[in-house]
Amino acid sequence: MTLDILTQIIASGLTLGAMYAVSTVGLSLVWGSLGMLNLAHGGLMAFGGYSAYYAMGALGLPLPAGLLAAILMGGLLGALTYHGAVRFMLRQKAFETNVVIATVGLAFVLENAVLKLFGAQAQRQPLQVEGAIQVGNVVVPLQNILILATALLLMLLVALLLKKSRIGRAVRATAMNREAAQLMGVRVGQIYALVLMLAGALAAVSGVMISSLTGLSPGMGADPMLKAFIICVVAGLGNVYGAVSAALALGLIEALAQFVLGVRFGFATLLLIVIVVLIWRPNGLFGRQQVTRL
Amino acid sequence: MTQTAAGQPLLEVTAVTKSFGALVAVNGLSFNLNEGEVLGIGGPNGAGKTTLFEVISGLSPATSGSVRFAGEDITRLSAEAICHAGIARTFQLNAAFDSLSVRENVEVAAQFGRANRAVPGLRLDRCTRASVDAALEITGLIERQRRIAAKLPVIDRKLLMIAGALATEPRLVLMDEPVGGLTPGETDRIVHLVERLRAEGRSIIMIEHVMRFLVQLSDRVLILHHGEKIYEGVPRGLVQDAQVVDVFLGQGASRRLASYLEGRA
Repeated sequence: MTLDILTQIIASGLTLGAMYAVSTVGLSLVWGSLGMLNLAHGGLMAFGGYSAYYAMGALGLPLPAGLLAAILMGGLLGALTYHGAVRFMLRQKAFETNVVIATVGLAFVLENAVLKLFGAQAQRQPLQVEGAIQVGNVVVPLQNILILATALLLMLLVALLLKKSRIGRAVRATAMNREAAQLMGVRVGQIYALVLMLAGALAAVSGVMISSLTGLSPGMGADPMLKAFIICVVAGLGNVYGAVSAALALGLIEALAQFVLGVRFGFATLLLIVIVVLIWRPNGLFGRQQVTRL
Repeated sequence: MTQTAAGQPLLEVTAVTKSFGALVAVNGLSFNLNEGEVLGIGGPNGAGKTTLFEVISGLSPATSGSVRFAGEDITRLSAEAICHAGIARTFQLNAAFDSLSVRENVEVAAQFGRANRAVPGLRLDRCTRASVDAALEITGLIERQRRIAAKLPVIDRKLLMIAGALATEPRLVLMDEPVGGLTPGETDRIVHLVERLRAEGRSIIMIEHVMRFLVQLSDRVLILHHGEKIYEGVPRGLVQDAQVVDVFLGQGASRRLASYLEGRA
């Protein structure tokens, strides 16, 4: 394997991994703090992608406004998820199952809203940067570098928010012990709404990233959501930092598998890895029986 | 902090019933607590003591009856709102935020527990820090404030829960088995702490199985059995009450407690 091929694999593996990381962190955050599996995550990704498309295509706004539109839409949908469904279920005994069903319903609503608003045909994501840089003999598109940089920036911001801010501390406290947090006056409803908004915004950004490479279609979120689940499971459900490492590692492995075995074996390899990991470590690579999630 | 009108109890529990399906955990219970008073609650396992705390602290609201605090009805308020009203609570079992340090644990309580903040900001203000320092100081955790909560021994976990409760600057502290599982030496440290809090004029309700602890610190004792009150009065009267001796203390423990009370008098 020559150096050029290796560079190529690393460049595309890191881009994949960065996109996966952004979508996985949102999913993992919601699982870690609410114990809620959000099956509408793919729908949020699609909505984010289409929001940027609408802002830049139909309204003719510049690139940063496109990204901002996606972030706002994701946050708004996250808030709606909380105020429209989750908050009525929190006190129910079967919260964890009920809420999954509710998010399946939400996923249908989101996908059909996209169909109704934008139609079924695939579209090109206008949020693109042209140009490329030369690394050795390999041409790396600027778009890939932008994706990687945005992803790293977002991960850094999320980590800072969780680790350093008071509100982040409340999120971690609520994740560790909801009742104790409540008794110390943390308004957990507000925290949950915030986590869902944050996760929605992250999903929307990852939707923009993914669609800039693969194009827009109403069902575009399905595959990436499945991959995000795989990464969550490999990392240990709810483990946010583990999810980022697992996303980058699996991105690189997928790129390698695509090159060595052929493109169609990339996803299959990921699934194979999950099976092996779950046999070897049922709680995931970074998971423990007693999870300290955040 | 508003003062309660003279003569008005700080906490009024009136005909509170809590049932889970057919099981009645607390049955038509009424009692009052005055400002500055220390009330001890005892009784056999399953008597409904912890359930009563769940009801007062709002984690699991009463099926019927009412709880009034400082003249306001708090029966159906959320746990957060009751915390903001001025009631703090510790748990029987460890309830710390495991991956945070001792100080960070208390900071959560001071930050969110003292008043209802609509928008929690990004940094701590001076008032919050002072409240955290005071809580760490009185519990003696100040030297261990950088330790991670998960790594603390049992006594420090109990102290940490109390520190968290105090950092919310409560008017009433509910303590659920503060000395359960501690050695006699460690129990004494909690005794000193409760005595200090009492001297500061704080109102306290505590649940405890260790009867010496309970009679030593309480102004008044309440014994529950099957969710009902079987005794309410001064600690001294416990050993003379036939029903208490019968269902809870037993003859042996009752004699030991009686001689302990003699020794203190």
